[in-house]
Amino acid sequence: MSVFLEVSIQGVLMGLTYALLALGLTVIFGVMDMVNFAHGEFLMIGMYAAYLTAAHVFPDPLVGVPVAGLIGLVLGALSYRLLVRRLLQGPTIAQIFGTFGLMLFLRYGALAVFGPNLRSAPGGLVVGQRLVLGGLVLDGAKVTAAAGSALLFALIYWFLQRTRVGLGLRATAAHREAARYMGVDTDAMNSIGWAIGGATAGMAGALLVNFYYVSPTVGMVFAMITFTTVALGGFGSVPGAFVAGIIVGVVEAVTAQYFSPQLKLAVIYLVFFLVVLLRPHGLLGAR
Amino acid sequence: MNRGRWAVLSLIVLAALAAVPAAAQPAVRIGVILPLSGPLAPTGQELRRGYELMVDIVNNVHPELAALGLEVAGWEGIPSLGGAKIELVFADSRGDPAIGADMARRLIMEENVVGLTGAYQSGVTQTVATVAERMGVPLVNSDSSSPTLTMLGYQWFWRVTPHDRIFDDDLFNLLDGLVAGQAPGVGPVPKESLSRLAIVAENTEFGVASGDDIRNRLAPERGYDVVDYIQYTSNSPDLTSETTRLVNSGADAYLFVSYVSDAILFMRTLKLLGASPTLIWGQDAGFTNPDFVDAIGPDLHGVLTRSLFISKIGQVKPIAAAINELYRERHGKDLSEESARETLGVQVWAHALQRAGSTDPAALKEALDNLYIPGEQLITPWEGVQFGAGRPGEMNQNIHATGMIGQYQYNPDTGEVQLEIVYPFDFATADMVHPFPGWN
Amino acid sequence: MGIGRIIRDALSFGDLSRAERLGIALFLVAMAVFPFAVKSGFGRAVAVQFLLYATLGLSWNFIGGYGGQIDLGGAKNVGFGAYGVALPMLWWNAPFWVGLPIGVAAAVLESLVLGLALLRLRGHYFAIGTLAVALVWQELFTFWRWTNGARGVLLPLKPTPDFLYMQFGPVGFHYAALFLFVLSLCWLNWFRKSKLGYELRAIREDEDAAASLGIDVLAAKLKAYCISAAVAAAAGAFYAVYYGYIDPASVMHMDLSVMIAMTAMIGGAGVLWGPVVGAAVLIPLDRYLGAWLGGDALGIDFVIYALIIMLVAAYQPKGVWGIIESLAPARSAQRNEWRDA
Repeated sequence: MSVFLEVSIQGVLMGLTYALLALGLTVIFGVMDMVNFAHGEFLMIGMYAAYLTAAHVFPDPLVGVPVAGLIGLVLGALSYRLLVRRLLQGPTIAQIFGTFGLMLFLRYGALAVFGPNLRSAPGGLVVGQRLVLGGLVLDGAKVTAAAGSALLFALIYWFLQRTRVGLGLRATAAHREAARYMGVDTDAMNSIGWAIGGATAGMAGALLVNFYYVSPTVGMVFAMITFTTVALGGFGSVPGAFVAGIIVGVVEAVTAQYFSPQLKLAVIYLVFFLVVLLRPHGLLGAR
Repeated sequence: MNRGRWAVLSLIVLAALAAVPAAAQPAVRIGVILPLSGPLAPTGQELRRGYELMVDIVNNVHPELAALGLEVAGWEGIPSLGGAKIELVFADSRGDPAIGADMARRLIMEENVVGLTGAYQSGVTQTVATVAERMGVPLVNSDSSSPTLTMLGYQWFWRVTPHDRIFDDDLFNLLDGLVAGQAPGVGPVPKESLSRLAIVAENTEFGVASGDDIRNRLAPERGYDVVDYIQYTSNSPDLTSETTRLVNSGADAYLFVSYVSDAILFMRTLKLLGASPTLIWGQDAGFTNPDFVDAIGPDLHGVLTRSLFISKIGQVKPIAAAINELYRERHGKDLSEESARETLGVQVWAHALQRAGSTDPAALKEALDNLYIPGEQLITPWEGVQFGAGRPGEMNQNIHATGMIGQYQYNPDTGEVQLEIVYPFDFATADMVHPFPGWN
Repeated sequence: MGIGRIIRDALSFGDLSRAERLGIALFLVAMAVFPFAVKSGFGRAVAVQFLLYATLGLSWNFIGGYGGQIDLGGAKNVGFGAYGVALPMLWWNAPFWVGLPIGVAAAVLESLVLGLALLRLRGHYFAIGTLAVALVWQELFTFWRWTNGARGVLLPLKPTPDFLYMQFGPVGFHYAALFLFVLSLCWLNWFRKSKLGYELRAIREDEDAAASLGIDVLAAKLKAYCISAAVAAAAGAFYAVYYGYIDPASVMHMDLSVMIAMTAMIGGAGVLWGPVVGAAVLIPLDRYLGAWLGGDALGIDFVIYALIIMLVAAYQPKGVWGIIESLAPARSAQRNEWRDA
């Protein structure tokens, strides 16, 4: 198999994981035009939920996926109710710093509670499993995360397109005032948006635990690449995040192979920068 | 009040009076700058325990250690300063070079310290050394390994422990030793099976300095071939492409300069790809971290790492065993590389103060410049402590400092992974496992 | 507009209330006598940090506070300024005063070119865009060999105090920082009364409306963005000589960008004194909280920070200055409107 193909497949695999990380962020932005800077920390909380479940309840992080989803859901809804609702009354700058404060709060709160050590899943169905396809060796845990990503995207897409609540969310996203006149409870929609954002971030975190370590600062590792993915796909666009995630994964892998591993993040930011210039609302952005 | 009570009372008063001169002798204050909070806080706490252990040995009497020849254990303070005790004043750098420099100013101007020690991260030590140099206050360092620190021409900076170039030398001494058949339990190894090296280094000062040194200096000097030199950004979300490139390089030996998070990802991905090098070596940092050992477990069997100190040395050096035992009594675990480092730093300070017989900066500088501590008093396998130029352009570096190389060995019966000493060969605590046996 | 008018505007605080003018005078006198009143090395170090961050906060106010463009990439300018001084000093032993204009020019030029693109973005997009640009610069400065990469630059140390190389004791650094701060303050003072300042406030309130009034929105934003870069770069140059060692992680890191914006935000964005108040709250809190909590309470200091940030954002988006204003009822509502408009 050609090196290029091999590298691209590995890139797509990681890209699907990036897409999954971006899903919750783009849903929140779609509903209320707001960047949740604490998104990486939602992910981190989900990772701890799954890790602790695996360490103390049942030794497989996959069991932690629903647990992490539930905890993420509550975290998202609470963040909205206690903080974000107030932030909406202020200027943009207050919104940015408000969720920034939430990010710091969760990150260093986790440091105080869990300590600074790096934890790894003790084992599990897909942990460290090799999947050999022809000459290609894939990480079973990453394949699981990629499959989970595709599944969750399909689920959220269906939810947005086919359910009544989904319609309400889309109406709120399209035109808040108009939606309110039509009888949509936009405050409840915001709440639901944050709950979905938190839940998907939590589940994404749980799937990551299969192949990634957990630490209080792990959110930082994923935060920038997630923002980039969302911006690239178009803030608020669910299909956009999916496509952008894959692009980011492939660009990263190809840059590392053919240029320099050190430059892979710089090249991703550069691609993002160019896309933002040429299409300010992202590849598949609606507005 | 009867006579008996009077006698007791006067005895107490006498005892108190006798105690006064000792208590009145003001303590010698030394400022310690460490990353006590922030991401490196656990390391900072570990370093702190090392300082406190040796200060206790200097300030109080420890006959069991003195009997083994540890001079400072019999001192009860600094004899030439009238038995003055050493008092450490800790300050938190948070791992930030700017805050470290502020703390150095505070310690010197407000806490009236006679000298400084610390500050662990080389970047922080650099700014602290600049402050010390500007203000003419001695800084004795035993925990930073950037070679530049002793090449700046600073008059007020002394380093007790080895720097990364010395550790790199150790690696090539081990490789050459393997070829020559000196490694314990391993016969001579053909050089062709070891000659192609791949370096994987994070793009920080630590990673790049060490990687460059191996590629530009040691590999050509000792006749090895660097087939790939992969620099990566630390804390990347994914290191699959870097690892794939490493495996595709076809190198015999993988040399890593990485912190713990990346070290874990690299080892996991290597296992996944079924990489089969003959040797894996880590430049300390992540490779000696307990979280790394927990995460990789039995798969570590055969992996090498350099380290300043491995507690197993107690098996072949009694003084190290005795100091380690004292530490075990207090903290329920062995001396780590970090805590071991700082016991050396305090030991040097004690000897310097004793030799100077004064806390005057010039006298202390003079004492440090001419200091000698014989090797049998140290927990490390060195010939001693003596500052000078180990190599051209250097100054105030302990010329006898060397490192150790340990090998993780898994014992299937106990289920434990132990770090055994394999280099220096004279201090080996187990036979070396070579070539790298592959993954479980 | 004549030079005299500019200088008069920069130096005149006549439109402020008597209480504010008194506050300014007291503050400046306090800062001027500080090194004589306070002998504590730590206190002096905190004062220099305070002046440095106050200056950086002022720089942010040009584009972020008055212009309402949330710049989260301020650290890149600090980096340009710092490297502008450090690299020529390392290569050619060039004095500080040669490096300073190089660093400032580099920052302004970069801001001019990238600002043309970035400033077309609005709101959150602009914030994320600036964040990404700053990250790319940090990655590049870490990657490049000619910048010494991750190893950073250690400035050559002079044996004696040297004005050319800006090397002197703590007192000298205090006055250098104070000088830079006062200069920036005056510049911002001129700016807020200038045509440009009014244009930016109009843009902050409603960009489309501003454009329809005939304001060249992009040009106005670009000018403010470049001024902001110049001030931050000058502060970066000072940082380099003050600490004597710089690397991309300390002068170009995202945390620094955020800290710059936060200084202005906590104090009060778009108010002359906002960043000063913000730095006066944040820097001592940061330093003394860290020194006080020490290593025993891991992460607690940042948790306290985070709570303050969230509370300010949720309940008083105008920052500490907003609280001060609400406590001073004497000021007439009309004047307030005029100032904030």
